[in-house]
Amino acid sequence: MTGAPPATPRGTRPATASATAAGARAGARRQSDALAGLGTMVRLIVRRNRVRLTVWVVVLVGMFTYIASYYHTLFPTQKSLDDFAAVSNTPGIKAMTGLSAAADTLGGAVWTKGWMTIALSLAIGSAFLVTRAGRADEEAGRTELLRSRMLGLHAYATASWLVNGLLCLVVGAGIAVASAANGLDPEGTGIAGSLIFGASVAGVGLVGLGVGAVAGQVASTSRGANALASAVIIGFYVIRMVGDLGNGALSWASPIGWGQQMEPYAGNRWWPLALLLALAAALLTGAALLESRRDHGSGLLAERPGPASAPPRFASPLGLGLRLQRGPIIGWTVAVALSALMFGSIVDSMNTFMADAGGAMADFTRGIGVDALLAMLAGMIGLITAAFATQSAASLRTDEASGIVETQLAGGLSRTRWALERLLIPAVGSAVLLLLGGAGLGAVYGSTIGDSSQAVTMAGAALAYWPAVMILVGIAVALFGWAPSVAIPVAWGAMAAMWFATMLGEVFGLPTWMLDGLPFSAVPYMPLDAMSWAPEVIMTVVAAALIWSGVDRFARRDIQPG
Amino acid sequence: MAIEIEGLTKSFGRVKALRGLDLTVPTGQVTGFLGPNGSGKTTTIRVLLGLLRADGGRATLLGGDPWVDAVALHRRIAYVPGDVTLWPNLTGGEAIDILIRLSGSLDPKRKALMLDRFELDPTKKARTYSKGNRQKVALVAALASDADLLLLDEPTSGLDPLMEAAFTESIREIKSEGKSVLLSSHIFAEVERLADRVTIIRDGATVESGTIAELRHLTRTQVTTVVDSGADGLAAMPGVHDFVVVDGRASFAVDEAAIPAVLAAVAALNPRSLMANPPSLEALFLRHYGSELAALAGGEPK
Repeated sequence: MTGAPPATPRGTRPATASATAAGARAGARRQSDALAGLGTMVRLIVRRNRVRLTVWVVVLVGMFTYIASYYHTLFPTQKSLDDFAAVSNTPGIKAMTGLSAAADTLGGAVWTKGWMTIALSLAIGSAFLVTRAGRADEEAGRTELLRSRMLGLHAYATASWLVNGLLCLVVGAGIAVASAANGLDPEGTGIAGSLIFGASVAGVGLVGLGVGAVAGQVASTSRGANALASAVIIGFYVIRMVGDLGNGALSWASPIGWGQQMEPYAGNRWWPLALLLALAAALLTGAALLESRRDHGSGLLAERPGPASAPPRFASPLGLGLRLQRGPIIGWTVAVALSALMFGSIVDSMNTFMADAGGAMADFTRGIGVDALLAMLAGMIGLITAAFATQSAASLRTDEASGIVETQLAGGLSRTRWALERLLIPAVGSAVLLLLGGAGLGAVYGSTIGDSSQAVTMAGAALAYWPAVMILVGIAVALFGWAPSVAIPVAWGAMAAMWFATMLGEVFGLPTWMLDGLPFSAVPYMPLDAMSWAPEVIMTVVAAALIWSGVDRFARRDIQPG
Repeated sequence: MAIEIEGLTKSFGRVKALRGLDLTVPTGQVTGFLGPNGSGKTTTIRVLLGLLRADGGRATLLGGDPWVDAVALHRRIAYVPGDVTLWPNLTGGEAIDILIRLSGSLDPKRKALMLDRFELDPTKKARTYSKGNRQKVALVAALASDADLLLLDEPTSGLDPLMEAAFTESIREIKSEGKSVLLSSHIFAEVERLADRVTIIRDGATVESGTIAELRHLTRTQVTTVVDSGADGLAAMPGVHDFVVVDGRASFAVDEAAIPAVLAAVAALNPRSLMANPPSLEALFLRHYGSELAALAGGEPK
C-alpha cells in the first residue's frame, strides 16, 4: 500500500493512559498509537466485505477474460484485426473508451473494448468501499464505539485502505495473468503488455481509493462522500475524453489519461504508473492529515443552525422530496449542463477526424459522421439522466428502510399519494434534464457552425430517451413494491446491466433481438435516424404499468423497515 | 371507545408477533400498555397506524378501520415512535412543522409553548440531536397538534427526569381536554402516575387488563415493620408471603384479603414503626413474568 502513514508493528498498544493524556495536553498524539488495533480492523473489514470484495474481483477479472477469449475467436487473422482497428478509429470510440495505440493487435482490440470500463469501475468501486468503512460507519456511530476501545486514530482508515488497495492489486494481477494466458501480447514482447495492462488498471483503482479517502474526510455524510468521489472520478474521465478528442494534451491532466498513456501492447510504458502511485500516495497522506486534525463525526464544514420552522409546502411529499433531494438535483443538473457544454464544444473540432475515418463498415458502428456522433452524445445525456432517475426512484425504499416514512404515513397522508408525488421528481426531473442536456449540447454545437436550429433538434433527440429512463424508474418502483428488501441493489444492478449491455452487449455475444429490445437501444437514434413513435409509446406504457404495479403493491403490503 | 382490539393476530414469516391480543382504550382516558421487549407492543401500535395489516382479529380506532380508513383517521391522531428517525439534514423545527401539518393545521403558539416546555432548540440539524432530543422533536410535534388520540410508544425513553415531569404535565393537560392516550412504557412509575387503565401483554397476548385500582386488588401490599419480638409468628399467618427479617425489620407481602387480620396481629406486637406500600406495577409485572423479567426490571434506570 502506498501513502499509509509510517507503519508500526501491528497490535501496538498504547503504553499507558497517562502518557496519552500528557501527549494530548501538549497538542499532539503519540504517533506510535495511531495504528493500534490495525490487525483487528483488517479482519473486521475483510469479514464485513468478503462477498463484495469477491464479487468485484470475479466480475472485473471475469469480464476481461471473457472479452479476451471472445476476441480471440472473433479475430483469427491480422486482416480482421486491421479491419476492426479501422472501424474503431472513430470519435465516438475515442470519446467513450479511448483508442489503443496498438489497435491492430489482439491486445489492443481488447484494451479498446474493456480497459476504460474496468479501470473506471475499479476506481469508483474502491472509492465506495472506502466510504463504506469510513464515513458511512462514522455517520452511523459504529466508529465511535470502535474508537472508544484501544484503537489508534488512523487504524480503521488504514485497514480499509490496505484491504481496498489489495483489491486493486488482485484485480490488476488477475488481469495480467488472464492477458498472458490468452496470448494478448504481440509476438516478441514477452508478457510486458499484460503486466502493463494489469498495473494500469490497479494504478487507476488506487487513485480512486485515494479520492474516496479524501472525500470521506471532506464530506460529513456517506452520501456526500460518494457523490463527491464519483464527481471527481467522472471529472477525470471527462477531462481525458476532451483530451483524447483533441490534441491529447488535456489527457495528461487526468489520472485516467495517465493510465491510458501506459499503452499496454504498444508503448509499454511503466513511468506513468509512478504518477498514479504518487497521486494515490499524496491523496492518502492528505486524508490522514485531515483525519488527525478534525473532530470525530465532523466534516470540513461546520454544522450551522437552520430555520426554526418549515414552509407549508414541506407538508406535501413533493415539497419535502424536492427539499431533501435538493443537493442531488442541483448536482445532477450541473453534471448534465457541464457535460452538454463540453460535448457540444468538441463536436465540430472532430469533423477532421470524421473525414479521415472513412466510411468503411459504417453500419457496424451505427454510422459515421456528425449525426452519428450527435446521436451518441444524446445517448450519453440519457445515461447520465437515468442515473439521476434511478437514484431518485430508489429513495422511496431508502425512506421506508430508515423508518422515516412511518412518521409521515402516521399523518393524514395516503401511501399512494406519497409514492406518486415523490415519483414526480424523477419523472419531471428527467424530462427537464434531457431537454437541458440536449438543448445545451445543440446550442453550443450550433454556435460553432452557425446553426441555431441545432438546439431544438438535439433537445428532441435527448428527450426521446425519456420513456427509456422511465422504464428504469418503473423497474425501481416495481421492486420497491414487490421486493423491498432487495430493491435498491437490484434497481442499481438493472441500471448498470442496461449500461453494460448497451455498451458491451456485442462483445458478450448477446443476441441482436435482445440488444434491440433494451430500452436504450430501442430509442430512435436521432438525429442519425428518424423519429419513430412505436417504441416510444410502447416503452411509456410499459413504464406506466411497472410504476402502477409497484405503487399499488406498496399500498397493500406491510411497511418493512430495513 | 377510542381503541378496541379483539383477538388481534399478526405473524412475520414463522414468528408469531401477536397471538390474540385484546386492548381497549376508553375515550378521555390514559391507558397504559405494558410488556417486556418483543412482547408485541410496537407491532400493535403499527397495526393501529395502518402500517401493518393484521392477519386476524378486529381492531377499531376512533370508530374506523385502521387499515382501510388510515388517512382519514390519521388527521385525528398523533404518534410518537419509540425510536425516532428524522431527516438528518432538516432542523428539528422543520421536522415538527412537517409532522404537524401532515395531520392538521399548525398552531405556532402551541408549538412555541411546547418547545419552551421541553427546552428544545429548533434550529439544530436533526443529525446533531441526541436520542433524547430526537424524542423531544416527536413529542413536541405530537403534543402541539390537535389530535383526539395520542399513540405513544415508550415516549420518555432518553428523557431526563425534568423532561419527564414536563411530559407528565402535558399528558394531564391532554387528558383534561377529554382526549385519549395509549401509553406504551417500561417506566412503571410513569404509567402508575398517569394511567387510568393498564393492559399488560406477554408474547403477543393480553395477560392482565383493568383499572389501576382493579389490578391492585389482585396483588399484595408490601409491609415493613419494626417490632421488639414475636415477628416470626407473622410468617405463619395465611396470606403472608416473602417474609424476611433484617436487623429487626420484618418485611413481607400481604394478600389484600388478609390485610385486616395481619394488621391486627402486627398491632398486637406493639410495633415501633410501620410502613405499608401499595403494590407497584413493577410487582405486578414480576408476578406475570417472574425471573425472566427480574433482569429487565433491574436494568431499568430509575
